[in-house]
Amino acid sequence: MSRNNIKQVWALLMVLVCVELRGSDRASAAPICVHGQAGCHFLSLADLFDRVIQHSARMHSISSDLHSEFEQYVLPSRNHIGRINRHCHTATILTPNGKENAQRLAREELTEVILKLLVAWKDPLWQFHQNMVHQDDFNNFSSNKALEMSYMVHELRKGVEKVADKMQHLGMISNSLSGLSSPEALDPSSDTSGESQAMSDHDLLYCFRRDSNKVQNYLKILKCRIVPENGC
Amino acid sequence: MMWRDVGVTLILSLILPVVAQGARHTPPGKPKLTSCRSPDKETFTCWWEAGSDGGRPTTYSLFYHKENSETVYECPDYHTAGANSCFFSKNETSIWVNYNITVVATNALGNNFSDPVDVDVVYIVQPHTPENVTVGVLEDEDGPFLRVSWEPPSKADTRSGWITLIYELRVKLEEAEEWEEHRAGQQKMFNIFSLHSGGVYMVQVRCKPDHGFWSEWSTASYVIVPDYIPRERSMWILIAVFSAFIFLILTWIITLNRSSVKHCLLPPVPGPKIKGFDQQLLKKGKPEEVFNSLVVQSFPPRSTDYEDLLVEYLEVYVNEKQELMPEGKDLQDVGCLKSKSQSDNDSGRGSCDSHTLLMEKCGGVESKDESSYEEPELLQGQAGSWERLERGDSQVVDTPDSSDGRVKTWPLVFSPSIHGSSDNHHYGTLEMPKQHSTSEITYSVPDHLFPTSTSFPHHHHPEYRDSLGEYSEYRCSRSPSTGVAYHWEARHPTQAHSNFNIRNLERQKEATGLGLPPSRSMEYVEVQKVNQENQLVLKPLSSHGRGPFQRQREMAEAGQYCNYREKEGAEAERYPTQQQGKTTKDGPVATQLQESTCLTTSGYVDTAPTMPTF
Repeated sequence: MSRNNIKQVWALLMVLVCVELRGSDRASAAPICVHGQAGCHFLSLADLFDRVIQHSARMHSISSDLHSEFEQYVLPSRNHIGRINRHCHTATILTPNGKENAQRLAREELTEVILKLLVAWKDPLWQFHQNMVHQDDFNNFSSNKALEMSYMVHELRKGVEKVADKMQHLGMISNSLSGLSSPEALDPSSDTSGESQAMSDHDLLYCFRRDSNKVQNYLKILKCRIVPENGC
Repeated sequence: MMWRDVGVTLILSLILPVVAQGARHTPPGKPKLTSCRSPDKETFTCWWEAGSDGGRPTTYSLFYHKENSETVYECPDYHTAGANSCFFSKNETSIWVNYNITVVATNALGNNFSDPVDVDVVYIVQPHTPENVTVGVLEDEDGPFLRVSWEPPSKADTRSGWITLIYELRVKLEEAEEWEEHRAGQQKMFNIFSLHSGGVYMVQVRCKPDHGFWSEWSTASYVIVPDYIPRERSMWILIAVFSAFIFLILTWIITLNRSSVKHCLLPPVPGPKIKGFDQQLLKKGKPEEVFNSLVVQSFPPRSTDYEDLLVEYLEVYVNEKQELMPEGKDLQDVGCLKSKSQSDNDSGRGSCDSHTLLMEKCGGVESKDESSYEEPELLQGQAGSWERLERGDSQVVDTPDSSDGRVKTWPLVFSPSIHGSSDNHHYGTLEMPKQHSTSEITYSVPDHLFPTSTSFPHHHHPEYRDSLGEYSEYRCSRSPSTGVAYHWEARHPTQAHSNFNIRNLERQKEATGLGLPPSRSMEYVEVQKVNQENQLVLKPLSSHGRGPFQRQREMAEAGQYCNYREKEGAEAERYPTQQQGKTTKDGPVATQLQESTCLTTSGYVDTAPTMPTF
């Protein structure tokens, strides 16, 4: 009898361990339900904002690394000139260039700017990654970073969309953002795809580094304006 | 020639300054932008350093243009930030915009452009130091700890989320060299543990935006940690466990060797084996009865001077005059012996007074005050000789050191044969009496020691005789002079004080047939028994081949008989006259020789027999 009991205990322990391990996976796999539906994890707006801000910080650090690597290893060999005429394809998007300007914008507008930026960079980054694979300028580590960068932009966009949904649900912002959810309307890549291709890699990295910084900063301003509990 | 030199010198001195002046007037050197910094991500300042000024007053100006714009602007403010600086206010500052800045140095002869520098304000943020750094000592269950708190610099706007700062602090003891750095993240408070009690700590804080430069360290804050005793529980627990373990082991070992340990620490207490001593009576708490019973059996000794227990010599000083001549040399020897004995107030006497020692060192002759022997009635058998002897002794006692009298100390072979065993030879050594201000009684020698036929001095004698078979109490006094020694010396038969003894002895021996060879020196004689006539039956000891040490022991042991006091029969009345002369504390008490008395030399029951049996 004792042996059977021990076996049962061991089996139970194993099951518990497996459940624990899977549980952690499930946490990330489960959809973040903004409306508190059953069967999903409920996150508060502050938690959402924190997550999103962490994502953007990670994205910006990767872009900074890539840019510095590019300037360190690739640029000297290319003898790049004409840096003054740098032109980012997202220059058409009006973004606030100062604190007052950013604070003057409404929540909805700020959220919209963020989303526009994120949408605008999805394709160029993917293209960049594709170009890197076929070129010898970057090592594998850099190409992995580029891939991760494009992936993170995609994830960040989805996260910000969720935040916007939550805010709309909570009544903090109006429903004028509903039009943004359609990717076709937001995606300027159809217009700027040619421009983005004309961008050099260096300019692309430079532009993206700046834009990711903008996104991070805007998100922080938005958070401290909407949920100023901690960290503001 | 000299004139030519002077001329050249003059010309040169005139030309060179002009040339030099001309050389100094050049367009200015190239300036250089050293750094641009923004404390709050809303304004920024650029500094440059000037090159050579070319000998003319030079002006510097800064020009910039923004990215993707060809409009060139000049620095709006050259003064706010100090010399060689340009301050950009909020209105002129755009974030996420690339500035291309150039400095131009201009003088009368020309100008010079510096290298252009690209600046994006986002990446040149260096905030001011954190403000309001406070350090406090707080108490915890584990001891005191430091709590450091601060505030972000006032210019950096962290409230709106425009700038995110992370902090870092460093701590060290005032006298230490190395700083201990800690990252504090975005929190504005930090705890530092494990402090040195009584130490003075210095704390500094600095901050950095998420993408930017570290600020300067804040001014040091000092804090004194109060004294405390660190409680390191783990160490104490370890020590306690270890000591408990050792204690258990020791207990186990002791338990195993219980008996031997007990024997070592608490040696068995010998119980009293005093004949006639009733322990029960003592427990009842009636000491008088106990002692009385003992007194009946001649115990305990009254004298508190336990040195009296030590055997002393019985010295009989007979005739000083007769002793004078041949013993000149011996006097000193005896004197030395006497001095020895005087200094010695303990049982060491035995060794000193040993037979061999006497032979070797002092010639066995002790000198005493001759004055004491001025009344040598002993030999003459005059009446009262005892008394006089004692008186003389007392006198001698007063000046023990100066005694020149010849006293031949001899270990008295004395066998009271109390134990009733004829085989027992108890050598009582009446130890050399030590100096005593109050001389104690010499012993009242049992008269059987002196053959009645001899002309023994005494009107004691008859009294001795009265104490038939009784021991007279003899006290071992310390005064050397009061010692009465029986000298069985056969060496100097002519010596007075020994004469009678020897004569007596010889007679005795003749009587008993011992036949001691007269040429023999210093022989021990043992009293074998006391016959009915109160005569000692003597027997020479030398036949037994005793060593000096044995004699010493015997002497010491026998000496303990001294204080036996037996009150039986007439006591004090025995020597009334004697006591007058005596200065002893207690009058001698006639003792009765009994077998039951003087049982043991001491009250101890010991494994070693007190009475050596031969």
